[in-house]
Amino acid sequence: MANPKTDPESLLPLTPAVFHILLSLAGGDRHGYAIMQDVAESTEGQIKLGPGTLYGTVKRLLEAQLIEESDERPDAHLDDERRRYYRLTGVGERVVRAEAQRYADIVAIARGKKLIGKTAMAWLPGGTA
Amino acid sequence: MNPESRGQRFPSSEKIYGALLRAYPPAHRVAYGDAMAQLFRDQCRDAWSESKNFGLVKLWLRVLPDLVSTSIMERLAALNERKTMSDKLGNLAAFGPSPKAIFTRVFIAVFLMVVIISVAVTYILPETFASTAMIKIDRDDSNTGKPGSSSYHYDPYFMQTQFEIILSQSVLNPVIEKLHLNETWGKKYFAGEKLKDVESYEILKGRLSIAPVHNTTLAKITVYSEDRLEAAQIANAVAESYRTFRQKVRGELAEKGIAVLASQYEEESQRIKTAQGKVEALRQQAGGANIETSQPYLTAQAELQQMTDSHQFLNTKLKALQLDARIQGQTLVQIVDPAEPGKAPVKPNKTVNITIGAFVGIFAAGIIGGLAALVTSNIRKRRQSANAPA
Repeated sequence: MANPKTDPESLLPLTPAVFHILLSLAGGDRHGYAIMQDVAESTEGQIKLGPGTLYGTVKRLLEAQLIEESDERPDAHLDDERRRYYRLTGVGERVVRAEAQRYADIVAIARGKKLIGKTAMAWLPGGTA
Repeated sequence: MNPESRGQRFPSSEKIYGALLRAYPPAHRVAYGDAMAQLFRDQCRDAWSESKNFGLVKLWLRVLPDLVSTSIMERLAALNERKTMSDKLGNLAAFGPSPKAIFTRVFIAVFLMVVIISVAVTYILPETFASTAMIKIDRDDSNTGKPGSSSYHYDPYFMQTQFEIILSQSVLNPVIEKLHLNETWGKKYFAGEKLKDVESYEILKGRLSIAPVHNTTLAKITVYSEDRLEAAQIANAVAESYRTFRQKVRGELAEKGIAVLASQYEEESQRIKTAQGKVEALRQQAGGANIETSQPYLTAQAELQQMTDSHQFLNTKLKALQLDARIQGQTLVQIVDPAEPGKAPVKPNKTVNITIGAFVGIFAAGIIGGLAALVTSNIRKRRQSANAPA
């Protein structure tokens, strides 16, 4: 992956799996299973990340320093101690914002051409019109 | 995740998935193997609470392609890392493993992966049992006439028509009702949600197989189910429901025929009464003298006799029809062999599946191994020419 510290847009466009994982972590620190559940819920079950895809993507995001392991355990009393939590880094946040903005721009163009209505929120990867 | 199922384990699935994780490079496995296994365990619990065994099968069908594609990706990424390292080492690692060694390694890795996957899928797929009821199907002679009679006509599509009748809702819906399949299958496959008749009908139809026994009027009704007792119960219920259906249809037809004859019989009775009155009147008119020579009386008497004979014939025919309807209705379908619960599953065929897996493995391993060896050979040639003295 390119170094996004100076230019987050150098990483765009993101793959659907990367974008959804970053979006999920934008909502707070999460472990692998919670990320998978959150992605499945937000896409109404259309995207169900398998363990291979999830941890392969997590590995690359860690290498690119878009996410990092977190020591804080939001559900410490409920959770298995072995679970590893992840959170967005500052760079990761900039990248996910940039990607979201890119989609928003695309939606604006599509609306301008009357391809979608004002209420259509299906611009996320895996979303439905 | 359902809190009640938090502690639930799936030893077979977890064990197989743990073994399949070997497809990933060692470094990836060390870093993420435990986390992936834990995530898979969580997904197993979700799948189980969603729809039991069916949910687990669906999960495996999702996880296996994910595992294959991501493990190949990680392996390639690991190879790239090594390649970068070997570039850095320059001449010290100029030649690396030979194409033959690469071919052998890749061949073994791909072959093992395909075989392991085919074994895993074979053992994960739910076992299916089959139960067969054999029935004898007779034609309804009231429609086609008896063989040898002038009214007889041969229907070449008779058996095929009957098979379609067996698969119809008229026959299968009573089976669904009798065995409470809407509730049973709803609990088993749709998390307790009661099914509609049409949904159960589609499932039942999909599990039924009807085959003729060559050169006979026998047919085999086979039902497949993961529950051996259920398969036998359904096969017997279908056979009985079909017999009931044929009896009912035959009964309705016979009733119509009997009603027509009974009506004729009643009309004849009235006419006979009238004719008897006429004969009596003529006899009184003649006053007893020379009655045997009175022509009108003799004519009326002969007509009465004819009517009485016809009436008796009609009566005999009516009784014969009633008797025939009762007897033939019961013999149109005979259950020759009721279904018994199967002793061993008929699917999956483990030997066939694993053999196919092995052949596919050899084929895929040969192609991928050959490509890997070719790439290695080209790299070696480039390096050899780069290292050659000018």
